[in-house]
Amino acid sequence: MDRSDKTIFARPEALTDTITHYCPGCTHGIIHRLVAEALDSLGVREKALGVAPVGCSVLAYNYFNCDFLEAPHGRAPALATGFKRLRPDMIVFTYQGDGDLASIGMSEIIHSANRGEKFTTIFVNNAVYGMTGGQMAPTTLAGQITTTCPMGRNVEQTGQPIRMVELLSSLVTPAYLERVAVHTPRHILQAKRAITKAFKYQSEGRCFTLIEVLSTCPTNWGKTPEESVKWLEESLMSYYPLGCKKDPEKPELNDGTV
Amino acid sequence: MAKILMKGNEAIAEAALKAGATNYFCYPITPQTEVAEYLSRRMPEVGGVFLQGESELAVANMLFGASSTGKRVFTTSSSPGISLMQEAISYMAGAQLPVVIVNIMRGGPGLGGILPAQSDYFQATKAGGHGDYRVLVLAPSTIQEAVDLMMLAFHLADKYRNPVMMIGDGMIGQMMEPVEFPEKYKEPPLPPKTWAATGAKGRKPIIIKSLYLDPNLLEDNAWTLHDKYEQMKKEEVRFERYKVSAKNRILLVAYGTMARICQTAIDELEKKRISVGLFRPISLFPFPEKQIYQEAGKKNIGDVLVIEMSMAQMYEDVDRAVRGQKQVSFFGRTGGIVPSPEDVVEQIEKLIDKRKPKAKKKKA
Amino acid sequence: MLPGESVLTFQPPSITKGIVIIVGGYGSGKSEVAVNLARHLATDGPPENRPITIADLDIVNPYFRSREATERLQQLGIQAIHPRGGSRYADLPIILPDIKAGIINRNGTVILDVGGDDAGARVLSSLADAFVPGEYELAIVLNANRPFTANVDGCLKTMSEIEGSSRLKFTGLISNTHLLEDTSEETVLSGLVLAREVSDRTGLPVLFLSASAEVLSRIEPKEIDVPVLPLTRMLLKPWETND
Ligand SMILES: Cc1ncc(C[n+]2csc(CCOP(=O)(O)OP(=O)(O)O)c2C)c(N)n1
Ligand code: SF4
Repeated sequence: MDRSDKTIFARPEALTDTITHYCPGCTHGIIHRLVAEALDSLGVREKALGVAPVGCSVLAYNYFNCDFLEAPHGRAPALATGFKRLRPDMIVFTYQGDGDLASIGMSEIIHSANRGEKFTTIFVNNAVYGMTGGQMAPTTLAGQITTTCPMGRNVEQTGQPIRMVELLSSLVTPAYLERVAVHTPRHILQAKRAITKAFKYQSEGRCFTLIEVLSTCPTNWGKTPEESVKWLEESLMSYYPLGCKKDPEKPELNDGTV
Repeated sequence: MAKILMKGNEAIAEAALKAGATNYFCYPITPQTEVAEYLSRRMPEVGGVFLQGESELAVANMLFGASSTGKRVFTTSSSPGISLMQEAISYMAGAQLPVVIVNIMRGGPGLGGILPAQSDYFQATKAGGHGDYRVLVLAPSTIQEAVDLMMLAFHLADKYRNPVMMIGDGMIGQMMEPVEFPEKYKEPPLPPKTWAATGAKGRKPIIIKSLYLDPNLLEDNAWTLHDKYEQMKKEEVRFERYKVSAKNRILLVAYGTMARICQTAIDELEKKRISVGLFRPISLFPFPEKQIYQEAGKKNIGDVLVIEMSMAQMYEDVDRAVRGQKQVSFFGRTGGIVPSPEDVVEQIEKLIDKRKPKAKKKKA
Repeated sequence: MLPGESVLTFQPPSITKGIVIIVGGYGSGKSEVAVNLARHLATDGPPENRPITIADLDIVNPYFRSREATERLQQLGIQAIHPRGGSRYADLPIILPDIKAGIINRNGTVILDVGGDDAGARVLSSLADAFVPGEYELAIVLNANRPFTANVDGCLKTMSEIEGSSRLKFTGLISNTHLLEDTSEETVLSGLVLAREVSDRTGLPVLFLSASAEVLSRIEPKEIDVPVLPLTRMLLKPWETND
């Protein structure tokens, strides 16, 4: 890498100078970077608080250069609620995987969203439990093989995968809900815009904001990084359409007040 | 059947099937996820129920419902997950429902780590949830014993209509050992499950509950439970002694993996002509109180040393059991650190040094 | 005859490929085989195999992984690749970039220790573009005393599942039938019978047989017509001593 490259890809202030533990081809790292850039662009790093989940990103606090709490599995939104209620001046975000948010933490996320808690959730959907070695998640696609559905997800017995953004968009209170992806430069730009917007709304004191990011898990999908990108594009994106489901600036999307 | 080599977690899963428990609810967590992975393949073969729930909170309550059918049901988890199950365990104890829960323990508190520990002793043995109740707690130290106790656990759960917990540190789940399964699991006869909710056909409705608004009735229920625990204390105390003899100078008390490490230490000390015996509780509730009292009271015993992979938890029960007859000391490591046989030997040599006549020391 | 003496008369395994991927389910003993193979190649093997690198790619087992022998392997000049610091003890499925780099820029022999059956072998698939056919050895460690590899059909099924999830093809078999401390001469020899049958059905060679040096000392070398790797246990349980 030459010097000019370095300056283009300067590390955001909101990230520490630590090599992450994520697998090659995993997009958790890109998502970290986008969150950090959003915090930097709004100049809020010094008053930011992150809440780490239990999942592959449990060590997120080693990579973000801001204060952090580590929550029990699934409970990050409850911690964020407690914190933000007492420190409304700070910028609070949770960073959660699909097992953490859509399985064990379903209750916390729905109620936080519905109360309109003024924090931002970055929801990383990779359709599998990464950390514990590839078990079925509520977001696992029909027929997808995991270690606890070795014959493929049987929707007769386990239901269809949950679309969180759509589910939450049926609530009146949340302010901003959007699904993005980060597997191509174009998608990364869109994701960056969405994440930044979520933090901007939060700093304006708007209600709950959540960005769902479709993410890769080459290790547990059993695919090379390139194949993972392809699978994400072909399979995940066709079940989980990208786009905004709620935005205070797009009243046509909203069925209530925010 | 011939011996085969199995990982503890798989052996526990297979043992449950052998005991006729084909209904399993789970949520993944290290170091016990192999039970779920194994059963996700095996349950369809045996026509049982396998369900990965959305959380341990839900799983434990699924067990409440499942057990109410009168069928054998179980779950496995590890420390943080077991904490989440405590609410339902209290309700199931109150409603007198049989259920088997396995805790493959890791270091805590909180998220802790994933390495083996014995730090959930208090939680398991003292009622981890609210109310006047106990669960029967079994602690294997080998994979074969885990298999045997797992099968027994279902019998005891039915016999007492009470939750039974089997606890093992992460090693018990993760290590490999040769095991043998019985061709067919034989158990003493049990009364029919007339308490199960099977539909009120030709009988009064059955209500499975723990709510008693009348304090007299709630107290009655507490006495019913209490009587069961007293019966367990009479009939279900289990323990093992290793090289316990009139030559022992020190009595070790340890359970699970820790007991095996102590055995190696005892063998090493034997070579140095230091005689030490081991008392290994197998049932942690009911606790072998009387037996420990007797062993510790023997004239040859100078000291009792409790060794754990936790911070002096079982120590409290041993100290209570010894009732001041001897000095009870404690040694333990935790957080996932497993004491080595050399560590144990060192602790024992220290104890012996302390007892040496002071005069000798002065001379030197 | 002194114990250990006859071991020397067995033919040692010979490794001709620069990448040796060792897979096997729980209890096959694949980590023990992997670290012992590394030790053998580093201390007794031909110079052209060296330097030796061993990479822990076990994402399914949280304990008893080859990384637990790191210190001893390093003393023998073997490079060990696995997560360091707190992550060494994590159950995070950490695949270090070093591993892929190690495969591509290989120097000497790289041994990959891959955990448990098809689920564990899936990790190979995420590295698939780094493997060049013909340049790697993919060997399955067979233990006839394990439920899923107790007979030929079980072995073939397991192998096809692993090939499916790893997208690599097996090139050889390792006969490592044992019952830990209960292993007898018959255990080892009956395992070889199974490995041979699997070999006949698949056309894959038995690369070597591995067994504890102690048990091997009681077996006549002529009874084993494949190369032999004597094992010294390096992944011990906390109460076990190596004597
Ligand atoms: C109460 C409790 N149950 C289970 C676990 C084990 N556990 C750790 S991470 C995880 C799932 C992580 O998956 P996901 O949220 O999808 O995140 P990813 O790893 O895929 O990024 C589970 C079940 C735990 N730590 N605590
Ligand atoms: S296991 Fe999956 S989610 Fe976790 S770091 Fe690896 S690729 Fe990313």
